[in-house]
Order: sequence, then C-alpha cells, then structure tokens
Amino acid sequence: MQQLETFSYDNKIVRNFGIATIFWGIVGMSVGLLVAIQLVWPVMNFGTQFSTFGRIRPVHTNAVIFAFVGNGIFMGVYYSLQRLLKARMYSDVLSKIHFWGWQLIILAAAITLPLGFTTSHEYAELEWPIDIAITIIWVVFGINMFGTIIKRRERHMYVAIWFYIATFVTIAVLHIVNSFELPISAWKSYYLYAGVQDALVQWWYGHNAVAFFLTTPYLGMMYYFLPKMANRPVYSYKLSILHFWSLIFIYIWAGPHHLLYTSLPGWAQSLGVVFSIMLIAPSWGGMINGLLTLRGAWDKVRTEPTLKFMVVALTAYGMATFEGPMLSLKQVNAIAHFTDWIVAHVHVGALGWNGFMTFAILYWAIPKIYGTTLYSKKLASIHFWVGTLGILFYAIPMYWAAVVQGLMWKEFTPEGVLKYPTFLATTLQILPMHMLRAVGGTLYLSGALMMTYNLIRTMRKGSLLANEPAEAVALQPLIVNERSRHRRLERKPALFMVIALIVILIGGMVEMVPTFMISSNVPTISSVKPYTPLELQGRDIYIREGCVNCHSQTVRPFRSETVRYGEYSKAGEFVYDHPFLWGSKRTGPDLHRVGKKYPNKWHFDHLLDPTITSPGSIMPPYPWLIEQKLDTTNTASKIIAMRKLGVPYPDGYELQANKDLDQQAKSIASDLKANQVDVLSDREIIAIVAYLQRLGTDIKVKEN
Amino acid sequence: MFKQITDLQGNEWYLIISLWIFLAFFILVAILLFRMKKQHVNYMQQLPLNDGETEVLEEETN
Repeated sequence: MQQLETFSYDNKIVRNFGIATIFWGIVGMSVGLLVAIQLVWPVMNFGTQFSTFGRIRPVHTNAVIFAFVGNGIFMGVYYSLQRLLKARMYSDVLSKIHFWGWQLIILAAAITLPLGFTTSHEYAELEWPIDIAITIIWVVFGINMFGTIIKRRERHMYVAIWFYIATFVTIAVLHIVNSFELPISAWKSYYLYAGVQDALVQWWYGHNAVAFFLTTPYLGMMYYFLPKMANRPVYSYKLSILHFWSLIFIYIWAGPHHLLYTSLPGWAQSLGVVFSIMLIAPSWGGMINGLLTLRGAWDKVRTEPTLKFMVVALTAYGMATFEGPMLSLKQVNAIAHFTDWIVAHVHVGALGWNGFMTFAILYWAIPKIYGTTLYSKKLASIHFWVGTLGILFYAIPMYWAAVVQGLMWKEFTPEGVLKYPTFLATTLQILPMHMLRAVGGTLYLSGALMMTYNLIRTMRKGSLLANEPAEAVALQPLIVNERSRHRRLERKPALFMVIALIVILIGGMVEMVPTFMISSNVPTISSVKPYTPLELQGRDIYIREGCVNCHSQTVRPFRSETVRYGEYSKAGEFVYDHPFLWGSKRTGPDLHRVGKKYPNKWHFDHLLDPTITSPGSIMPPYPWLIEQKLDTTNTASKIIAMRKLGVPYPDGYELQANKDLDQQAKSIASDLKANQVDVLSDREIIAIVAYLQRLGTDIKVKEN
Repeated sequence: MFKQITDLQGNEWYLIISLWIFLAFFILVAILLFRMKKQHVNYMQQLPLNDGETEVLEEETN
C-alpha cells in the first residue's frame, strides 16, 4: 500500500533569493546606466580612481550576471526543484549558507573591483580569494540540490532539473579551469596560461558562462514556469530532450568565435564558426517549444503580464541566438567585432531573455509564496511596455552605432588612404546613439523600480507561507524494469551528471588539448623578450585601471587595421602575457602597436588629461598616476611568479629587478624633463608609460 | 565562404572528426527518443502541473 507523506516546501529561501534578485538588479542596472552615461559625458567618472569606467564597468557586468541573474536562478531553482521532486530542500542550513555566502561574494566583488583588484578576464575579474569562495558556495549549492534529488518523492527528473544539473556541473568545470592562478599577494595573481592559450581558455569560459549561467538555468526555469503560468504542459517533451542534449553538446565548442581573425590557430577558429552555426538549431528548438506551449492560450497573453514578459523573453532569446551564429560568420565578424553590435547582442539577451523572464517569475512566484494575488496587474503591464521600450531604445541605437563605426574604421578614400585615420572621429560620430542607449537604460530601470513597488505592496498584502504544507506518496522501490534507456537515465541523477559532464568536456578538450600540446599552434618568435620589471609593473597598473575594457591589443590581418595600427599581431608575441589583454571592445583604438608611436610626453599628457592630445576624447583623466608612488616592494615576487609560469627571467634576477626598474624609470623621467615635464621617477605614470612604449615593439617593422 | 572551413593547411581533420562525433551523438539521442513510450512522455509533460499546489484564483485588481 502506498503511504502518503506530509512535508513542507521552504518558501523563505525562495523569498530571500527573490529580494536579493530585486535589490542587486537595481544596483546592477543603476551602475550600468552610470557607465552608459560615462561614455557620453566623461565628467561622470567623477575624477576619482574608484569610479572610472575601467573599474566600474566590471562592477556592472558582475552585478547583473552574478548578482541579479545569479540570485534569480537560485530563486527559480529553489522554487521549482522542491515542487518537481515533491520534497523540501535537503538542508535548510545549506540553503542559508548558500544564500548568505553568495551575497557576501557579491559584496566582496562590489568592494574589490572599484579598488582595482581584478584579474582582467572578462566576467571572471574577481581575484583568487573570491574565486575560492565561489567554488565553496557553488559546492554547497550542489550538495543541497543533489541531496534534494536523492530524497525526492518523484521518481523521474523533469527536463528542468536536467538543465539545473548541467548548469551546476558545467559552471563548476568552467570556473575551476578559468581560475588557475598563481597568487603573488592577497589580492593579486597571474594566470597560469599566457597569450593565445589564455585567450582560448578565457573565451571558452566567457562564452560558456553565457551558455550555462545565462541560458541553461533559464531554459530549465522556462520549462517549469511557462507551463505553470499558461496552465498547460510543455508543447513537446521529446523536443525538450533533443533540445537539452544538443544544446549542451554544441554550446561548449563555440567559444573560439570570440577570437576570429586573431592569432588563435585557424582550425580552432573554424571549429568555433561551425559549431556556432549549428547552435541555432537547438536554440530555436527550445524557443519554438516554449512559444508553442502557449498554443491555445494566446488569449491569456493579453491579460496576464507574466505571459507577456515570457513571450518577449522567448522572442529575445530567439533573436539573440540567431544573431550569435550570424556574428560568428567571419564576414560579419570582420565588421561587427569590437563594435557596439556585440554590446547590443549581449543586451538583447540580458535585458530581454534574462531580465524579462526574471521579472515574469518574480511576478508569478512572490504572490504564490505570500498566498495572495499581485497588487497591481496594471502596473505590471506598464512595467512590461516601459521595459520593452527600454530594450528597443537600447538595442536599435547600438546596432546603428555599430554599423556606422565598423564601416568608418574600414573606409578608404579613392586615393587608398583611410578616410577616418583618427580613431576619435569614429567615436564622436556615435555619441548621439550612446545618448539614446542611456535613455533605453533609464526606461528599463524605471520599469524595474515599478516592479519593486508592486512586489512590496504584494508582500504587504499577503503573508509569507514560510513552510508551505504539501503531501505526496513516498517513493517505492522500483520493481518493473524500464525498457527505455533515457527513461532510466531520468531517475539516476549521478549517472545523468556524469554523462552531462562527459558531453560538455568533449568540445573543450578537442579545442584546448592540441592548442596546449602542439607547439606549432603557437610559433615562438626569438626577438620577443620578457617585460622589464618597470614594464611588468606598468602592465599591472594597466590591468588595475581596466584599460582592457576599452582598448584591444590585437591587430587583425585586415588592410584597414594594418594601415591604422601597424603589423598584424602574431601568436608568438603574447607568450609572456599572463594574462592576455586582447580585449573585446574598441571604445578607444587598439594599442598593440602603440609602442614608440608617440613620445613619452604624449603619453604623459594623454594620461593627465586625454583632451590635451585628443580634443573631445571621452577617456577619463588619470591624474592619480602622477601623484601615486609605484609600489616596488612586490617586484621580486612578481618576477619569481613569472619565472614559475615559464617566463625566462634568469635565476636570481629578482634581486636586481628593482635596480633595473629604477634605472629605466629615471631614463623616462629625464626624457620627460627634457620636454618640460617635471615628474618624479618613482611615480606610477612612469611605469605605465614604459609599458605602453614597449607594446608591440618586439617585432615592430621599422619604417624607412 | 566555405574556404573558412576547408583551407586549413591540413588541419581539416579536426573539423571532420568533431562533426562525426556530433553526428554519432545526435543519432544516439534520436534513437533514445524514438524508443520512448508515449505514456511516459505524457506523464513527464504533466509533472509541473501535478505538483499538488492549489491555484490561487486571481482576482481583478485595479
């Protein structure tokens, strides 16, 4: 006889993650709006080193990805997992550790990033102590999730749970592999990888962070919440299986499309292109499965704001996943890469797919766990329209700006010279579009504030069902042999995780192992030498100030780039770059060949106030580099760390490194003095000038 | 356009092997799908709707 068990769902943890989602969402969006305004009016950098675009932009990206979306994921997972498995979370204590641990990590990020503690890897900027904390809290989440799966009362795991398992295991792999760093102090480390290899690891991580943090958990939530909101089952369960396995298999291969036309081996670039194009099939399979779930329920879309948000979320997902493969075509990438197109592409996904689905779930789940109805559907509908307008005002000007700038970079006169040889001309041309983008951001943020008010009123209207009572039949031992292999797999979580792990490892291994093991993939160049101690210190200031957020360091093999910047970049030039600093966006010009292009005084003036050398520049000034003394107490440990990583500094060089540093610094200071600039040789600006003057000079072709 | 994936100085086999791996995997998943029973598919489809929750009736607000 089957025994009915009574238990309760933990709604308090869902509520907590929900509040954190709203709070960090507003913080992240506000900082996003600030950085958007900084790109139009540099005065909004506020003249302090803690609020410049280079340091604040990672605060925005980390806040919206890991704080807003991250908490949104945990809210959705903790709500749906309990109900799909008919079990309370495995451990309330682990739930609390997970919640508070994650919030502390976010707080640590919000403090350390403006202070300049950054690894420079995009979306993985947090330094090694926080990386360790992330690993621990992620494991806590995993134990809690698998513990719940093990004590479940539902034999088979619904498709949403497969996506959660794939998310857990893949993010764990991505985070660990992309966090192999050698610490040199409490808040500074160097990546184990260098140059091309570091770039491949970073974009394998970066692309798949989008895949397995911004996509798969949201697909899992879509498969649970959309049927609940529409009150009808998912359109095709079989399609969801095909969607799941194809998506996790293909996604992991597509990372190299971020590195097209760089010095990454051609075969790896091509693999990225091919799998990116293939990716459209499972992505659209999921979108179609979601939209067709609404068949026969489209009348509800008119009246239910949650479904309105879901429809736009799915449409934005479809647009972004069409655009991704298109941007992976080399012909399109040649124009679009490094422009605002990428920013628009990312934000269609972030604002439309992640943002709108998060809003939909909040509007749906908060009234449920408070045992009431939404305070105002009308206000939610206004939020929907304001938010949609916000997305349009954001994306359309960015596409426009991208095409304008991409074409301006490439335009030649009939005489065969660049029509816009000054990079700044192309930046100033798109400022009106950037203003419109800020309007879009304001609209989107206004909508989020409306939602906050609406949900606060909803919470006040009801009362939290902290321990929602439920009952289900206890899981009985299985006595019938299940013939279908997949059906069997659906009730074996450990096996499921192992198979998902194998599937996601294949792509990464095929791309990474040859790039690391076969030396011909990264040909060395004998003239390329390690950085001098002063240049190394300057490089770390370049990293600290987040220069990589606006300046790339890789010249692509196009005439338009070699004429503008110089010889295209070679893999062998980056072998001592721990980490690589190729960047992903050119708000300012590429700097790989900037070495010796201008005199020291030009760089000094430019860093003191960019408008001295480039009138109208939107780059913030860096006067503190002149005031602050260079910290040379860590030079020796940096040299030792670099040697451990394979940089050929002679044994014992760390003992004389500071002497060499001082000598080179004095030489630059005396050159500046000869040009009417009086600055002490022990200031940070001397180091960064030394680094900039070194860039790309190892193989620089001498003119005349 | 196809020069991008054919002109790889002898490294084309990386692509060819990768595509074969995917094809084999895709066929395997397709076989698993065809072997699934409709009864099980229907049961799984209904799981989110059968979680024992009582629907709170939406009352018209504002």
